[in-house]
Amino acid sequence: MSVDTTVETSSVFGVHVPQPRQHGAAGGVMRRLNFGTGLIGGVALATIAGWGTAILTPSSASNATFAPMEPTYVYLAVLLGWVIGFMLGIGAFVGPLRWVVGSDITHADAEYMGGKDLGKKRYWKYTTDHKVVGIQYLIVTMLLLGFAGLLAMLIRTELGMTWTELFSPSFYNSMIGTHGIAMILAMIVAVTGPLGNFIVPMMIGARDMAYPRLNALSLWLFVAAVPMLISSMFMGGIQDGWSVYQPLASQAPVGMLGYQLTIIVFAISTAIASVNLMTTILTMRAKGMTWSRTPIFVYGIFASSLMGLYAFPFFQYAQILGLSDRVFGTSFFNPLNGGSVWLYENLFWLLGHPEVYVIIIPSAAIALELMPVFLRKPLFSFNFAVAGIVGVVALSGFVWAHHMYMTGWAPAANYPFMLSTEMISIPVGFLVLVAIGTLWRGTTWTRLPLMAVYAVIFNKMIGGVTGIYLSDVPADQYFHGSMFVVAHFHFMLMGAGLFGGMAGIAFFFPKMTGRILDERIGSIGLWTSFIGFQVTFISMFVAGLQGQPRRVLDFDSQFNISNWISTIGAYVIGIGMLIFLAAIITSWRSGDVASSNPWGSKSLEWQTATPVPLENFPVLPVVTERPYNYGVPDPYEAELDAIDADLAEKVGNK
Amino acid sequence: MSTDTLNPQTPEEPEAPTNRPPSMRRVTLWLRRPYARRVLILTVVIGFLLLPLCWLILAGMNQTGAPASEIMKDIEQTVFVFTLVSIPITAFVFAVLLYSLLGWRRVTGDEPPMQDSPAIRTNTIGVILWTATSSILAMFLVVWGLIELAQITANSYGSISANEQPGQSKSEIINVTGQQWVWTFEYPQHDGLTSDVLYLPLDRPVYFNVTSKDVIHSFWAVELGVKIDANPGAITQTGVTANKLGTFNVRCAELCGMYHAYMQTEIRVLEQDAFDSWVRESGGKKTS
Ligand code: HEM
Ligand SMILES: [Cu+2]
Ligand SMILES: [Cu+2]
Repeated sequence: MSVDTTVETSSVFGVHVPQPRQHGAAGGVMRRLNFGTGLIGGVALATIAGWGTAILTPSSASNATFAPMEPTYVYLAVLLGWVIGFMLGIGAFVGPLRWVVGSDITHADAEYMGGKDLGKKRYWKYTTDHKVVGIQYLIVTMLLLGFAGLLAMLIRTELGMTWTELFSPSFYNSMIGTHGIAMILAMIVAVTGPLGNFIVPMMIGARDMAYPRLNALSLWLFVAAVPMLISSMFMGGIQDGWSVYQPLASQAPVGMLGYQLTIIVFAISTAIASVNLMTTILTMRAKGMTWSRTPIFVYGIFASSLMGLYAFPFFQYAQILGLSDRVFGTSFFNPLNGGSVWLYENLFWLLGHPEVYVIIIPSAAIALELMPVFLRKPLFSFNFAVAGIVGVVALSGFVWAHHMYMTGWAPAANYPFMLSTEMISIPVGFLVLVAIGTLWRGTTWTRLPLMAVYAVIFNKMIGGVTGIYLSDVPADQYFHGSMFVVAHFHFMLMGAGLFGGMAGIAFFFPKMTGRILDERIGSIGLWTSFIGFQVTFISMFVAGLQGQPRRVLDFDSQFNISNWISTIGAYVIGIGMLIFLAAIITSWRSGDVASSNPWGSKSLEWQTATPVPLENFPVLPVVTERPYNYGVPDPYEAELDAIDADLAEKVGNK
Repeated sequence: MSTDTLNPQTPEEPEAPTNRPPSMRRVTLWLRRPYARRVLILTVVIGFLLLPLCWLILAGMNQTGAPASEIMKDIEQTVFVFTLVSIPITAFVFAVLLYSLLGWRRVTGDEPPMQDSPAIRTNTIGVILWTATSSILAMFLVVWGLIELAQITANSYGSISANEQPGQSKSEIINVTGQQWVWTFEYPQHDGLTSDVLYLPLDRPVYFNVTSKDVIHSFWAVELGVKIDANPGAITQTGVTANKLGTFNVRCAELCGMYHAYMQTEIRVLEQDAFDSWVRESGGKKTS
C-alpha cells in the first residue's frame, strides 16, 4: 500500500488511513484534566462567584415581601459557578476552544479522548468512548439511586413509627420532595444512560455514537446537576413534593433554586443525549440492518429519546419561569399578581406524563429483548411490538391532564383526557401480547435476567390495571392525592422500571464488565426485594383505599396497620437491594471471567470480543437476517398442515 | 407434561371432513392441545382467586362509613366494575407467566439450552382475538367512565337547576376556603355564618364554592366522594347531596406546606331540624 508521505496517516485496526491536515500539535492542557480538576474548578468558581455576589449585593436588597434577597443571589451564583467551573475543569470546553483558536483536535487527541491506552484512568476523564460513558452513567445512576433509596428508608421509618415524630414536618417534606425528584431523574437515565450508551451502538453495529464528544457532555452535565440537587437539602430543602407546584414552591426556602437549576441543567443533558442516540440509531445502523432487522431494544431507546426530547423543554421552561419569579420578581405563576397556578401544572404535566413513558418504554424493551434469548424462540409478532411502541409515543403527548382532573382547570376537558388515557392501554396491551406470546410454549432457561423479566411483567400488570382506575375520572375523584396513586406509580417506576433495569444490567453485565454476575447472590437479592416490594406497595394500596392522603407524616390511627406493614416491606426491599448491589460489586471485582457470548445470543453486541475493543468491531458487520432468529420449526404447525392437506384432499375427493 | 411442546399428541382419529371454516377448525384443534386447556383452566382458577378483590376493595373504601352520597356510590360502582373487567385479562397473563415457569419445559445450567423452542413468529388468530378483546374492554371502560362522569357531574354541579337563582334555591350554598392549614366553611345564606367543621343537612343538595387564600389545597370530603382543588385566585365549584347521617372526614389532598398532614376536619351530616338548630345556635339566620 503506497501512501503519500506528505499526508499524515493513522493506523486503524492495522490499516493506514490518510488523515486530514492537522492543525497544531497533539497534546496540551487537555491531558491533565480529569474529574479531580473538575471538582477543583467547580468549587473554586463557586466560591469566587458566591463571594463576589455577597460583596456586590447591597444588604438592603429584598423582595416584595421584604425577605432579604442576598441568600438567593449568592446561592444562585454558587450553583452557576459550580456548573461552569466543573465543566471547565473537566475539559468539556477544550474542543470548542481549540476550534476557536484554530488548532483543532488532532487524530491523536481524538484517540486520547476516546480513552486509548489510558487504562482505568479513562473512567475519570472527559472520555468520548461510548462504552466508558455507559459505565460512568451506570455508576452515577447507582449512586443517585442509593441516595434516593436512603431517603426512602427514612421516609418509611417516619411513617412506620406512628407513635412518635422522628423528623420535623419541614424536613419530612424536604425528604419526600428530594426522594421523588432524585428517583425520577435516576430512573430517566437508568436504562438509557448505561445501556443506551454502552449497548446500543454495538447492537446496531456501529463504532461509537454519532457525536462522541456530545455524549461525554451529556454525562458530565448530569454529573454536575446531581450535587446541586443534593446541596438543596442543606439550603432548606425541596419541601413541595417532586412536582413543586406553584405557588407553594415560591414560599420555599432558597433550596428551591437547587431544584430549578438541577432541572434546567438536566434538561440540557437529556436533550443532548436524546439527539445523540436518535442520530446514532437513524444513521449508523450496520449495513443490512433495515428497520425490520433492528432489535426492539433499539426501538425502545429511540422512542424514549424522542419523548424526552419533545417533553423535557416544557419542564425546563416551567423551572426557568419559576426561577425568574423567585429571583427577578416576575409573576408567571403568582396568582396574586395575575399569574396562573394552572399554567405551571400544565407545563409540569406536559413533561410529567411523557416522562413516565420515557422511563417505562426502555424497560419494556429490555424485557422483550431478553426473552427471545432465554426462551430460544423469536420475538412473538415483532411488528406488534413496534406498533405498541409507536402507539404509546403517538398518544403520550395527549394525556397529561389526567393528572389535573381534580384541579377544576377545565372540567369539560376531563372527558377527552379520560378517553385518550384509556386508549393508551391498547398499545400497551400490544406489548403485553408480545411478551406472553414469546413466553408461549417456550423452553424457559431460568437464569437471573429472565426471572427479573417475569417480575417486570407481573408488576406491570398491577401498575397498568391500577392506572386504568386512575384514568377514570369518577374513580380518580376518590384516589387522586391519596396513597393509592403513590402505590400505582411505584409499581410502574420501581416494579417495572427499576426491575427492568436490573434485568438489563444482569443480562449485559458480562459484556460490560467482562465478568459473570454472581447468579446466586443476585437472585437472592432480586427475590428479596421483589417480595418486599409486594408487601410495601400492596399495603400502600390498602392505605390509599382507606383514604390516606399522600405526602403526610402523620395520620389517623386507622391507617396504622397498613403503614406498619408497608414499612416492614420497605426494609426488606432495602436488604434485597443491598444484596443485589453486593452481587454487582463482588462480581465486578472478582467474578468468573465471561466468554464473549455467554448467553448464546444472536444479536450483534455479543458477536464482538469481551472486553470490547476501542471502536467495537474489527470489521463492521453486515446484517442478513431478522433479529431473534432462534427456534425450530413448530411441530404443531406441521401437524396442522398435514391435517389441512388431508382435509383438502378429502373435500376434493367428494 | 414436559414434553407436550415438542411431541404433540396426535388427535385420536382424523376428523371427518366438515364445511366449517378452517379457522374455526384451528381453534377447536387448538383447544384440544393439553397445554391450551391447562392455561385456560389456570386462568379460570386465578380469576376466581382474584374475584374477592371486587368486594375487598370496596370494604377498604367503606371503613369509615362510605358511601354517604350518591356520588360515592357511583364511584364505588365504577371501581367494582373496573376490577371485575380487569380480572380476566390479569388472570390470563398471570396464568401464562405461571404456566411458562411450571408447565412448559424448563432448563437450568450455565450453557445456553441445546434445543431451541418452536419458532412461533406470529399467530393471526391470536393477535386478532387479543386486539379485539382488549379494544372492546377498553372501549367498554371508556364508555362506562364517560357515562358515570356525566352522572356524577349531574349529581354535583347539577344540584342547582339553570333557571333557579342560587340565593332562593332549596340547596345549601357553602363557600369553602383553604388556607395554610385550616378549612373554613362559610354559609352565605345564613348571614355568612362560618365554621371550621363542615355541617351538612341530610338529603339536601349542597353547592360548594371552593377557593384558597394562599397555595393550592384540595378539598376532599372522603366518604362523600367529593374532591376539588382549592386554588388561589380562582373559584372551583362542585356539589353533593349527603344521604347518610354521621360523622365523616375532610382531608386536604394536595401538599400545601408544613402542616398539610394536619389540614383535616370533620363533616357532620345532620337531619334538617338539627341542622337548622345548629344554624340558630351559632348565630346564623334561618332561611326561607
Ligand atoms: C396503563 C398505563 C397507565 C395509566 C392508565 C396511568 C394513569 C395514571 C393516572 C390517571 C394518574 C394520575 C393519578 C392522580 O394523580 O390522580 C397517574 C399517576 C402517575 N403515574 Fe400512571 N398511568 C399509567 C402508567 C404509568 C407508568 C408506566 C408510569 C411510570 C413508569 C406511571 C407513573 C405515574 C406517576 C409517577 C404518577 C403520579 C404523579 C404524581 O402525582 O406525583 N404511570 N397514572
Ligand atoms: Cu400520567
Ligand atoms: Cu394540604
